[in-house]
This record gives sequence, C-alpha cells and structure tokens, in this order.
Amino acid sequence: MNYKTKPAIVVRELSKKYRRYDLNRPSTLQESIQRGLNRVRPSECFWSLRNINFEVLPGHAVGVIGPNGAGKSTLLRLIGKVGRPDNGVIEVNGRVSALLDLGAGFHPEMTGRENIFVSGVISGLTRREVRQQFDSIVEFSELNEFIDYPLRTYSTGMQVRLAFAISVHVQPDILLIDEVLTVGDMSFQQKCFDRITQFRTSGCTIFLVTHDISVVKKLCDEALFLRAGQLIAKGKALPVIDEYLNSESENSLQFSVANRTATAAS
Amino acid sequence: MRDLAIQSFSFRFALKRDLLYELVMRDMKLRYKRSILGVGWSLLNPLAQLLVYRFIFEQVLPVNVPNFTSFLFSGVLVWNWFQMSLVFGTSSVVDNRELIKRPGFPIAILPAITIISYLIHFTLALPILLTFLVFSGIKLTGSLLLLPGIIATQFVLILGLSYFTSTVQVAFRDTQYLLGVILQLLMFLSPIFYDVSSLPKRFQTLYHMNPMVGLLDAYRAVLIRGEFPGRSFLLLGLGTLILLMVGYLVFTWASRHFIDEL
Repeated sequence: MNYKTKPAIVVRELSKKYRRYDLNRPSTLQESIQRGLNRVRPSECFWSLRNINFEVLPGHAVGVIGPNGAGKSTLLRLIGKVGRPDNGVIEVNGRVSALLDLGAGFHPEMTGRENIFVSGVISGLTRREVRQQFDSIVEFSELNEFIDYPLRTYSTGMQVRLAFAISVHVQPDILLIDEVLTVGDMSFQQKCFDRITQFRTSGCTIFLVTHDISVVKKLCDEALFLRAGQLIAKGKALPVIDEYLNSESENSLQFSVANRTATAAS
Repeated sequence: MRDLAIQSFSFRFALKRDLLYELVMRDMKLRYKRSILGVGWSLLNPLAQLLVYRFIFEQVLPVNVPNFTSFLFSGVLVWNWFQMSLVFGTSSVVDNRELIKRPGFPIAILPAITIISYLIHFTLALPILLTFLVFSGIKLTGSLLLLPGIIATQFVLILGLSYFTSTVQVAFRDTQYLLGVILQLLMFLSPIFYDVSSLPKRFQTLYHMNPMVGLLDAYRAVLIRGEFPGRSFLLLGLGTLILLMVGYLVFTWASRHFIDEL
C-alpha cells in the first residue's frame, strides 16, 4: 500500500448535534426523579456540524476559518477522536498530536521538571522520549535556571512557554492546532511559528483552527471556511480567505445598515 | 506492514504504561506535598483508627476474636483501600475534564490511577501489619504467597465498581454522596471488627452477598490463620472479573458522551 497517496484525514458526511438543555435541566438525581426520568431530554437540538466532507493529503497544511460558533473547534476535536460524531465517518492515518489546551496536567505545586514529564506523557510522548528530549524542551522554553522550582513561582508567560515547548517536541504525522500561536511575547511567538513551519517542511500534516487570517496565509496551502456548522468553501487558501472576508464584510454591512435603520426609527 | 502494526501496538502500550506511571506519581506527590509527615499520614491514619476501635471493641463492646489486634488492623487497612479508592475513583472522570478533552487520552485509565495510588499506600502499611502479626505470635506460612492474588482480586473488584460509579457520576453528581452513605453502612455490614461466625445463621447468605466479606476472610485466612482461602474465593475472583469486563464495556460505551456532558 502506498502510504504517501493515502489521505491523512478523510471526513465524510460528518454531522454533530449539539444538545441544548433547559436551563433548569435536572442535574441531580433528586430533581430528575421528581420530574420523571423520561423527561430528561434535551429541549432543543441544533447541528454544530452538518454534512461536512473533505480530505487532507499527507504533508498539506489546512487552515479552518469562520466566525465564532461555526463549529471549528468541534471539528478539530472530532478529528482528534474526542467525542463521537452523530453521523458520518472520520478516518485519520498517522500519529496525531494536538496543540490545544496547553499545559493539560500541569500542577502548580510540582516543579517545572516534574511537570515536563507529566505533561509530556499526556501529550503523547513515552517517558524515554521525554528523557531524551528533556534538554531540548528546557532550552526551547528558555527556563533553564527555573526548571527545578515549583510551577506556582512561574509567571503566566513562563508557564505558557513551558507548555508550548513540551507540545512541540512530539513528532506527529498529523498536528492539530487550535488558536495557540498567539502565546508569549513577540520573539517567542516567532519561535513557535518557526517551529510549526519546521513541522510543515518535514512533511507533517497540519490542521489549524484560528481567527488570525495572516497565520493561515503564511502557513496553509488550503483552507476550509465554516459558518454555522456548514462547510461554505474549501480549496486553495487565498480564494477561501477572500470568500470569508467578503461574507464577513457583507455581514457587518448588513448589521450597520440594520443598526442605522433602527436608530433612525427610534 | 505487519511489523509496523506490532511496533505501533507496543508503542501504544508503552504510552499507556508511562501515562499510568506518571499520573500515579503525580497523585502520590501531590497528596502530601508541603506536609511535614508526608506519606507518614497514610500510616498514622489507620494506626489511629486501630487504637480507637481496639479501645471500643475490647473495653466497651467486647467481641471475642482471637488475635484481635491483627484481625482489626488487617480489616481496617483492607477497608480503607476499598473505601478511599472507590470514593475518589468515582469522581476521577468528572475531576479530570481537561484530560478527557485531549485527543488520544485513554479515559479508562483514570479510575485505575486513583486505585493504584491508594494501593501503594496500602502496600506501604503492609510491613507494619506483618510486624504486628509476628509480635502477636502468629506464624507466617507459605499461604502468604497468595497475598498478591488476593490484592489483585480486590483491585479488580474496585476497578469494576469504579467503572460503573464514575459513569453514573458524570450524569448525576449525587452518586458520590450516595456512595458515601452506602459505604458507611457497608462498613458495619462487613466483618471488620467482628467475625462472620457471630452472625445468626439465617442472615449468612444475605450477608455473603457483600463481596468484601469473602475478600476480608481471604486476607485473614492467609495472614492470620495461615490457611489457603476457601474454594468460594475462586468464585469471588471469577465474579469480580465478570464485573470488571461488564463495567469496562459500559464505561467505554458511555465515555463517547462524556465530553458532551462535562
């Protein structure tokens, strides 16, 4: 079988329902017994993702753009096998790593060193891999002299740097990124960006969710435009971005017109 | 192609093993971080319980059990492991939302982490128990070699139960409180400070429905009486294995929805 021609990610007819419950949804046994168990039903369902189809070839970088609540992060998590789609299939070929929820498993009472090991295995490294890459992780985080102090003595920026340094030392075939390229100061951001580019040139498939159009322009060759759970456009990055920007400006135009009418009427 | 599959299987195994190791270590480190006595607390706690129970069941409500101190101490240690790991195993899914949200995180190891961490406390107290046994003139025999098997059975029992309780806990946070009540009652319905034989005959069958009865008896057979556990222990072992399998299936089936519920 030719590995290279097999798509890294295949998404077919993917749908995900989001269940919205009444605000007074029973959350304790007592409440639900009082109301009768059969009535613990979502009061409303809407589609967080509706009939999404696309493929990502190995080594390609895809940016997912769209307004808030479009279902971008849901899509990313589903590809990472978090949660189950209500319909459709997701096929992922290769070792997946995710740059999201940086610092999962971090604990303020443990030292930087201890946290590197815990967060490292949570990110999908074995302990041996963490040991081998330990120096490189510390160097990337620029925290050499603080590494044996408890995490609670770190500033927020230092914690984020450590978390990011661990995450980028996983060697995945597919990298999922959710809005994390804006961490740290300018020079650290540049460093993170360089690292992602390095992943890209080494043949890693990248699936990126962001609001930052410039990142998509710089990093991605393809893009997906999602709105309200629907895949509006897919294809080469630049045309898709244009379509997104046009629809956004149309929306804000409509909004301001509506606003003005409302002001005039009152 | 096949080599690749095996490689990735052993890699996934190594990943889970290391994850378990690191998270158990984290649990252990954090439990007594910045406390002076540290892990000493896990020994002081059962010893204090032992003192009070001994006072009550020797001076106030005397029960007639040979080697009472060893009997009591083994009961307390075994029960503590059961109770603590079941209570915290139940909330282990709800308490680790950020881990559940991570792609590729094996959710099923969460209850196991808690149980193993309390198992370590249990094993740390074992040498003290053995010292007690020797000092009360109990002869340690070859039946002691069965101890790991009994510990393993208890582990399987707690893990199986935790898979059920932690699943229910996701939907109903009452589970933990309800469990607290049940465990408190169950403690008195388990032979911790009295012997099974002091129970009227007509209650025996019902009483033995509690898996802790057979388990505690097996521990004492091996530790105190120097005997092998009765044949019914095999049945208990089989039962716990079935419980674990069913619990695991229910847990993995329900875990698809955990992320939407948390």
